[in-house]
Amino acid sequence: MKTGIKIALSVAMLASLSFGGEQFAMSDADRAMYAEMSENNPADIMIADGEELLSYMGGDEGLAKYLGVSEDELPSYIAGFPRYIKKFDMVVGLDQVLQAMMADGGHKPLKLKSGNMFAMVAYVKSIANDEPINIDVNANPQMKEMYALGEKTFMTKRGGRGLSCNSCHSPDVIGRVLRTQPLPDLSSKGVKAAATWPAYRMTKSSLRTFQRRFQGCMKNALLKVIPLGSKEMVALEIYLTDKAKGSEIAIPGLKR
Amino acid sequence: MNKTVMMSLLVGASLFATDYSKVIEHPDASKMIEKDLLAPPKVFTMPAGCITSDPAAIARGEYIFNNLNGKKAKKNPPKGLSRKQMKPGKTYMSGDKIPPKQYGNCVACHNIEGARGAGNIGPDLTDYKENFIDSGARDYQFVFQKIADARIDNPDTHMTINLTTKLFTPREICDITSFVVAPK
Ligand code: HEC
Ligand code: HEC
Repeated sequence: MKTGIKIALSVAMLASLSFGGEQFAMSDADRAMYAEMSENNPADIMIADGEELLSYMGGDEGLAKYLGVSEDELPSYIAGFPRYIKKFDMVVGLDQVLQAMMADGGHKPLKLKSGNMFAMVAYVKSIANDEPINIDVNANPQMKEMYALGEKTFMTKRGGRGLSCNSCHSPDVIGRVLRTQPLPDLSSKGVKAAATWPAYRMTKSSLRTFQRRFQGCMKNALLKVIPLGSKEMVALEIYLTDKAKGSEIAIPGLKR
Repeated sequence: MNKTVMMSLLVGASLFATDYSKVIEHPDASKMIEKDLLAPPKVFTMPAGCITSDPAAIARGEYIFNNLNGKKAKKNPPKGLSRKQMKPGKTYMSGDKIPPKQYGNCVACHNIEGARGAGNIGPDLTDYKENFIDSGARDYQFVFQKIADARIDNPDTHMTINLTTKLFTPREICDITSFVVAPK
């Protein structure tokens, strides 16, 4: 199994790196730390932990079997999540699949927000490193419905300041600066943000999932923070993963 | 029912009928979102005496413009502005947690005189009086409405909505507007 760890630079990160000066959030010290971490992503250890945790459930082979695919097909199957799984009658993310697998294996499922779960999800997604994202939002009515819900959730203005995700991530504001932070591109086709999460966040000194990242933006922008695994969260992940369709997965990402 | 039949039913249940909706976390967020939705665009009229050259009001406006909330702000707020947000009509006991007051954080998107680390999602508001008011391009009511609910002028705005959301009181919107249009 290839575990080629790739370094993923977000658009925002590149922008932060290429400009100096007080306008930007990254200081010279930050940049030095970033350069060091690009050589040696601190999340690599956490991914190794995730691999060990999965090994208690049969490792890659056990996962492939659980998902009903061969081990060879596993990477490209993983590159299509979130997806509708008939057995669960639900559209699920990788973390939720792991919960079901734990339950079926007689284990108590880890909480979606637990650090061990983040580590496992990161490991499982890294199985698909170098694989292009192949999510199919038209695969079935369930996925269609979730994509539509994701788009709606992305566009809905709410919270104390009346903002939506789109207020800061619509194509016309990409690259502009929000209080020292260049706004990353999330919503135009071929954008690879989704391919780089789970990622290590330097400002949080921890490994975070894509949905956990959404929660960060909700909190900062005063949108009520909705729980991981909720329909709307999975839907947001689907909406943004579709934007990254075709981008090669590179886990763990490294973010400011 | 005899004991062995019951046992086999139980085992059978746990083997064949995993209720995935119970083991997979999928909390309901729709009600949270519904309660959090933004009210429709609203037209506001400036109250009498809204725009002022009172330095205390302008100082409050400037502070709201440049800070995110009462917890993050480094300098203490000027007179008449608090770091915490008490709910009107609620009695507080000692030890009660009072949430930080939210400020405007306008600087996240707008440059203006004296701003530090300003963003550029919105237009630069430097020399606003000369460029926009004295030139006749804008009047006070326009600026007040823009800050209160920017959707009236621009339905697709990326700007924050500050009065319809009740984030601020009309007087606070007046303080912010007074700061933006003041000679600097
Ligand atoms: C007020 C502005 C604002 C709002 C509203 C906002 N974001 Fe963000 N978002 C940002 C900024 C700024 C960054 C980059 C921060 C940094 O450099 O760490 C960011 C980064 C992100 C990233 C990481 C991108 C990457 O890979 O580097 C994701 C994912 C994201 N936002 C999703 C969302 C979602 C989903 C919502 C709505 C629930 C949302 N954002 C709402 C400002 C915002
Ligand atoms: C998330 C970004 C954002 C934040 C925060 C923000 N604005 Fe804006 N603002 C904009 C954008 C974008 C525009 C231009 C589009 C429009 O007019 O709707 C704008 C327009 C304006 C204008 C109109 C300028 C003109 O004459 O055309 C004023 C005045 C203004 N903002 C003041 C404020 C004040 C005061 C605050 C804080 C209470 C604030 N803004 C917060 C993004 C923002």
